[in-house]
Amino acid sequence: MTSTDQQPFLSVKDLKVHFSTEDGIVKAVDGLSFDLARGKTLGIVGESGSGKSVTNLTILGLHNPDSTEVEGSITLDGQELNGASESTLEKLRGNKMAMIFQDALASLSPYHTIGRQIGETYRKHTGASKQEARVRAIEMLRRVGIPQPDRRVDDYPHQFSGGMRQRAMIAMALVCDPELLIADEPTTALDVTVQAQIMDLLKDLQQEFGTSIIFITHDLGVIADIADDVLVMYGGRCVERGPKEEVLRTPQHPYTWGLLGSMPTLDGPVDVPLTPIPGSPPSLLNPPSGCRFHPRCAFANKVDGNRCATESPVLEIVDGRGNACHLTDEQRREFLADLAASKAN
Amino acid sequence: MSFSRRNFLIATGVAAASSTVLSACSSGSSNSGNSNGGKHDAAKANTITIKVGTAEDSKGPAPEVSGAKKGGKVYLLNDDDFSHLDPQRIYYAWNSLVEVVLARTLTGYKIGDDGSMTLVGDLAVDTGVMKDEGKTWTFTLKDGIKWEDGSDITVDDVRHGMERGFADFTTEGATYAQVWLTGSEEPRKSYSGPYKGKHLKSIETSGKSITFHLAEARPDFNYVLAMHSYAPVPVKHDTKQAYDKKPFSSGPYKVKSHTTDKSMVLVRNEHWDPNTDPIRNAYPDEFDFTFGIEAETAIDRLIADTGNDQYAVSWRTIPQSKIQQATTKAKDRTFTALGSGTSVYWINQTRVTDMSVREAIIRAWPTAGIRRLQGGENRGDYATGFMSPLVAGYKSQDVWGKLKKPEGDPAKAKEVLKKAGKLGTKVVYAYQNDPVNAKVKVVIENALTKAGFEFVGKPLDSTTFYDQIGMVDNPYDVYWGGWSADWPTGYSDFMPCFHSSKVVDQGNNYSHLKNKDVDAAIKAATEEVDQTKANDMWAAIDKQVTELGAFIPDVYMRRIYMHGSKLGNVKMDPNFDGCMLYKMYVKA
Amino acid sequence: MLRFLVRRLLGAAVTLLIISAITFMLFYAVPRDPARMACGKVCTPDTLELIRHNMGIDDPLPQQYWNWLSGIFVGRDYTGIGNCNAPCLGYSFVNHESVLGTVKDRFPTTASLALGSSVVFLIFGIGTGMLAAVKQGKALDKIASSASLVASSMQIYFVGPVALYLLVYQTHLLDQPAYTPFTENPAAWFTGLLVPWLVLALIWTANYTRMTRSQMVETLSEDYVRTARAKGLSQRTVFFRFAWRGAMGPLVTIFGIDMGVLLGGAMITEKTFSLQGLGMLAVKSVINNDLPMLLGVMIVTAAFVVLANIVVDAVYAMIDPRIRLA
Repeated sequence: MTSTDQQPFLSVKDLKVHFSTEDGIVKAVDGLSFDLARGKTLGIVGESGSGKSVTNLTILGLHNPDSTEVEGSITLDGQELNGASESTLEKLRGNKMAMIFQDALASLSPYHTIGRQIGETYRKHTGASKQEARVRAIEMLRRVGIPQPDRRVDDYPHQFSGGMRQRAMIAMALVCDPELLIADEPTTALDVTVQAQIMDLLKDLQQEFGTSIIFITHDLGVIADIADDVLVMYGGRCVERGPKEEVLRTPQHPYTWGLLGSMPTLDGPVDVPLTPIPGSPPSLLNPPSGCRFHPRCAFANKVDGNRCATESPVLEIVDGRGNACHLTDEQRREFLADLAASKAN
Repeated sequence: MSFSRRNFLIATGVAAASSTVLSACSSGSSNSGNSNGGKHDAAKANTITIKVGTAEDSKGPAPEVSGAKKGGKVYLLNDDDFSHLDPQRIYYAWNSLVEVVLARTLTGYKIGDDGSMTLVGDLAVDTGVMKDEGKTWTFTLKDGIKWEDGSDITVDDVRHGMERGFADFTTEGATYAQVWLTGSEEPRKSYSGPYKGKHLKSIETSGKSITFHLAEARPDFNYVLAMHSYAPVPVKHDTKQAYDKKPFSSGPYKVKSHTTDKSMVLVRNEHWDPNTDPIRNAYPDEFDFTFGIEAETAIDRLIADTGNDQYAVSWRTIPQSKIQQATTKAKDRTFTALGSGTSVYWINQTRVTDMSVREAIIRAWPTAGIRRLQGGENRGDYATGFMSPLVAGYKSQDVWGKLKKPEGDPAKAKEVLKKAGKLGTKVVYAYQNDPVNAKVKVVIENALTKAGFEFVGKPLDSTTFYDQIGMVDNPYDVYWGGWSADWPTGYSDFMPCFHSSKVVDQGNNYSHLKNKDVDAAIKAATEEVDQTKANDMWAAIDKQVTELGAFIPDVYMRRIYMHGSKLGNVKMDPNFDGCMLYKMYVKA
Repeated sequence: MLRFLVRRLLGAAVTLLIISAITFMLFYAVPRDPARMACGKVCTPDTLELIRHNMGIDDPLPQQYWNWLSGIFVGRDYTGIGNCNAPCLGYSFVNHESVLGTVKDRFPTTASLALGSSVVFLIFGIGTGMLAAVKQGKALDKIASSASLVASSMQIYFVGPVALYLLVYQTHLLDQPAYTPFTENPAAWFTGLLVPWLVLALIWTANYTRMTRSQMVETLSEDYVRTARAKGLSQRTVFFRFAWRGAMGPLVTIFGIDMGVLLGGAMITEKTFSLQGLGMLAVKSVINNDLPMLLGVMIVTAAFVVLANIVVDAVYAMIDPRIRLA
């Protein structure tokens, strides 16, 4: 709960994650930096393949060390994680930092009971007995709102509904009261009602325990609901960062404009066709030169001298706000106003 | 190709079809050691003597084998179990090879070191007393002959063995004596066996002697009684069907244990008295049979010659694929000899009625080419007739010049055919559809075509081959067949295979020869009391049927076996085409 | 569970019934007369008829099948041979023994061969497969993968004689293959079967190496395995408790089927090593035209396969709680 700490709780600096594959080097994350304070929520948005999941798996050290090269620095509470030993990481995982995965059905072992899966994390990190772990699992299930937890604790994942599985997943992640929680699209597969419940649950838990959360999603609506800060990723890089309100109200990067444009709004007119961003996400094997978004950017021609294709825009962060784009602030304001107008029509 | 019962089944699928070499009671050479091929064998065979011995010859013990000593254990590597041990159910040599040490018969063969065979009294004091020109035979039992429990072998037991041959469960055995004792071709209709309290009227017993009254004259009946089908069975220990698993021994060994298809152990029968037995030496203390060892595996083991395999003998002739290896690596441990079988190609007289055509086929026939495909010299020695060199009276009488020109003479054949105006005659050749026979067919086709025939090959399913060629109205001109005499006189060659009465469906006269002269000659030889004369008469019939073109002589079949280095005097039994258990010994 | 068992056992009975009926019919479709076997060299029609009657093959086919079938439940009486008590699988007129007795006699050989070799191939197959999966893409994995490819393409009838030659005939390292009952002499049982076990296992190990590796590689990439690691569980725990658990199901299925087949007799192996098991018995009964024996072996063999399937399904349900037995 100390957002004013000198040192951010989590600090990622110039993170590069490269995989070697048979076809060549995949630059999944290419120079990413961000900070996260205690008790705060950072929303990371971006399309599939933008590097958001890889970033977070790398924080936990779950990448394959044989084929992955990680550069840069990841410090959690002052402790460097990049290059830390497997045993150091094992002690942190599930304990100080935990992760909620997207597809709870696939991410829970079908062969073990819910109670056991929750309990074994607890036992691993606290050395509790089986019985204690079971009691703890029931408690966690109750906390995430599973009815009759003392009975359901012995159920297998397939006996749970989708929403319940996601809650169980959260219970499992929170069983050791982690200080950092990474939630990778935890609500994507769920219907809207359940989604809302899960979101509320996360918020409540954060309030109660002061957990820092990284929330990965491609849904800006969810971001609007939960995040303090937003980080927009494209092609393994951060293209825009800032406080939630600012990014959503006055987005600065054409990619963010695109994302906002492709987001259905509950309060907007229903019959307005969505305008998805034309083109497909960039290949990380052979990323485009210059700005990685330029092949899909409607405004690339507005920048003089073909700079978008040749020169990589630099991300400058001032007071936690910034973007990586060659457009000038004037151009940006102008184009955004046009967009807003066209949308209103 | 080998001819014990079960292997025969693999080749043909039918057990009862008898045109193959099913059994053997024949005389012969045991060219122990190695053979140098067929060139001289026919001549050599002529020197083998087959004779009826005297009462003196019938006295035990058997002459010692020089260097032999008692004791030790011999291991037998068999691919298959014996199909029968109940003597009345034994017909095939495979079973007789072991039965000969378990069951003594009224008469038996004393085998000389040179392979000569002398018919002697085994249980009987001599080879019997013949009366009524062969219709009445009387045998007297020796003293001191015992069953394995020490009780005497009596004439009742001898009669019981004869009568068991009529029972409904002994259908596998020979039927000669049954027919003669009842005068019926369906003997079971006249007498149904000893289990209903009735005895055969044609057998009389008195004290130690037993007399057989035959419906027809059988001057070589004493040979017939050497067949195991006519061995005595103890009245008190007859377990009927179960007897097949564990017969009650009268020989030098008895069955200690027997698990079908797995193993059998023979141990000494302490009640056997060598002084009563002119035939058997019985040196080893024990014989251990293991069944289910493939012939190839057995030879591999014998070549390796380690551990117990040093005391082992292969029960199956060395497979063609292993002969080369066996004879190079351990020539001194192989032993080969002529078997009792003759291989021929029948010419169907019903269809090929012209003698010139038959002659042309015979002259053109590529015997040497066929033999090369079937194993060369190890397949056998070129035959000149039907009668094997292991049958009394055998003469090499090369009617068709087969020894001179084993390759065949298509040019001469064509000449014969042309002269008769029969060029282009169609010849339908039926053969078993297997890889070797398919190759053989090509060789035959080439030869016959060259000789001016139109050749037609008909492959037949090997499982039903004999059923098909066994039909009198079969649509084939030439087909293969093998035969082995049941005892070493001409009768069991020529009566079943050349008498006109045997031209019936599934009969053994596969050439369908119906010739009054032949019938008359067979009758005369059968009834000839003087066996020396009779033997000459059979040899004459051999020449006669050969000249008539009833068949194409192929080969007198040969066997080659192997044994371990610690065994001595391992020799071929000319009767049963395998090793003589009762003459081998374990070296120190 | 009870419902599952009842249902599956009933299904098994029907399967066996159909198999026996088909075997029966097929056997008679082949124009061979088993009676000819027991008929001597001079075989008269009357004798043949007598044998047919004794064997019970002069009855109409459905009657014969019924006799066979009812024999299983109430036993049979063979004229002159005696009673064959239920469950009577018939009497072999070739071996002159009851079919069940012979099958019982041969079964321990086949079972020893199957069990012994499966212990070897499971240990080595699964071990190597796991190792290869852990070292995915590394030298060890490549060696194991290519070695198993080579081994799996080998045949018993080739490897068997070579092994015999090298291990037994030439170097005398191992004993001549032979079967001694375990109860009689455990040491001889072991040494006598070692060569067949090793040879059979060599070929089967390869299959299990490949299957284990591919199953492990597959489950190691499962989300729940990643979750387990994210929870802070050690590599070892993750590997055995999670990944292996997932890989086990398909392996158990394959092993169950293989076991059913092996218990039915490994014909070529038994032939190569001169072992008298069910496989050899089946081959010989075909050669000998021995219908009762063939039927008996077929039924017992089929029963093992069917039973193996039931066991596999039950075991699968134990491994994977998502599967429900019904």
